[in-house]
Amino acid sequence: MIPWSRSPHQKISAWLGVVPFLAFCLAFEIVPVLLLLSGSFSDKNGAFSLGNYAKISAPIYVRSFWNSIQLSAITAILGASLGLLFGYAIFRLPAPRVREALIALSDVTTNFAGAPLAFAFIVILGSNGVVTLAFEKYLALKLYPTFSIYSYSGLVLAYLYFQLPLMILLIIPAFAGLRREWWESAHNLGANTIQYWRRIALPILTPSLIAGIVLLFANAFGAYATAWTLGGSNITLATIQIAFTITGEVLHDPGAGDALAVVSLLIMGVCIAIYQFANSRARRWAR
Amino acid sequence: MKQRPPVLQGLLVALFVAYMILPIIATYTFSIATKWDITLMPEGYTLEWYQTAFDHPYFSITLTNSFIVSIAAVLVGLLFIVPTTYWVHTRVPAAKPLLDLLMILPFGIPAVVLALALIRVYAFPPFARSPFLLISACVIFSMPFMYRPISNSLMAIDVHTLTESALSLGANTLQILIRVIAPNILPGILSGSLLVFATVFAEFTLANLITGASFKTFPILLVEFTRRDGRIAAALSVISFTVAWFASIAILWVSGRGRKPTEEALGAR
Repeated sequence: MIPWSRSPHQKISAWLGVVPFLAFCLAFEIVPVLLLLSGSFSDKNGAFSLGNYAKISAPIYVRSFWNSIQLSAITAILGASLGLLFGYAIFRLPAPRVREALIALSDVTTNFAGAPLAFAFIVILGSNGVVTLAFEKYLALKLYPTFSIYSYSGLVLAYLYFQLPLMILLIIPAFAGLRREWWESAHNLGANTIQYWRRIALPILTPSLIAGIVLLFANAFGAYATAWTLGGSNITLATIQIAFTITGEVLHDPGAGDALAVVSLLIMGVCIAIYQFANSRARRWAR
Repeated sequence: MKQRPPVLQGLLVALFVAYMILPIIATYTFSIATKWDITLMPEGYTLEWYQTAFDHPYFSITLTNSFIVSIAAVLVGLLFIVPTTYWVHTRVPAAKPLLDLLMILPFGIPAVVLALALIRVYAFPPFARSPFLLISACVIFSMPFMYRPISNSLMAIDVHTLTESALSLGANTLQILIRVIAPNILPGILSGSLLVFATVFAEFTLANLITGASFKTFPILLVEFTRRDGRIAAALSVISFTVAWFASIAILWVSGRGRKPTEEALGAR
């Protein structure tokens, strides 16, 4: 037992120890975000107004959100399905060393995001990229102009580069939670492999899968550097539009920027909430 | 379940490795290629692009700036998170949910939104567009990466017994923290610090939007070159990848395999 933390007086003074850090978070995170929220509901004179939200119903903003949602959904679903497949292949590898090495590779590569990664994709899949050339030479397949690394199709491939390893890192602990005994019991009761997966394994993996999909979605939705490096202003995404209101390259309407930011926060908030809930369900099985 | 054909499994693993490795290898090769745009392999090799990159006036400035921001973010992060986490673990366990919530919040705030919010509030000197504001933003953005390994290390040791023994020997809180707790959670401190360093070093969004041209960081220079000269962009990307490799290998080496990488992966998108 710790002697201090006994009397109410000491309890209050113990809470004081959290104050410096809390003050830092309030000053550089919470208060600015709350002011952004209140700013989004004010007009130029500070009176309550929904004008900023009316502004962002303009086609360009609606399209930017729709593009962001589509890109995030596609890369989340593709990343989660491929991650499930690759993750299982890695998980079932007989050599623990190779398995560990591949998990470490996922660990490293999922941090390789942003500008250098975007450039690496230009090197392999740009119009003179090595993969583009190899497709043309060996498969007689012209990728351009149907595909372009600078367009949305290219963004999907580049985003998958950090989505895929993230999903693998998320799902492998869930695979580890599938106990051998469950397979054995199912098998003894006459279940075949497909029945085992449909009735036992997949239902147990479902919370982890949902947690993975929403986390990947949020991960892609908040991304900016990769899209900006690849597409610049040719790409219309929510984060790129918000950045424009800061840099003032296309328009400079602080109010619209605030409203865009608040809608993005709302979408992210929903994702994180679902993730937390699904993850707490998944933890019951994960080892 | 057992009899999955090993051919398919091997193919999947090979495909995954190729997808993860190919862009990196191609970038390393591109950075030392004389000409590589019509042939399948480079026509020759050279270190000229590195020389040009090193000679660029902004090369050492941006590299220094990135090191300053990354190291400052690590130090400020350590200063806040180590004592606070220790304090919460030992004296105010009731504050643990609050601390956990604070560490989840940054995941829900896209970097562009954090930048926008900070620029609005801190529009006055000396904060406006300053490196101080950038460092504060980076600390907020990266604190979950610092917190997780430190919190895990603290839970793995017997903090209460250590604290009590040190107290009974007459140590004060600062002495306990520096001379008893810190050495015991050193792996957590190191892997948290390396992770924050690597994340902040690669951070483009916050730097570009908060300080921009007034305090250019290495990723800003890199993005500029992707539009001007691909070969120099390749050399800069290689430097950036190499920093990330070193940090990652150091993290793996320091922390072994015991950590949960999930949340740490939400880095410099």
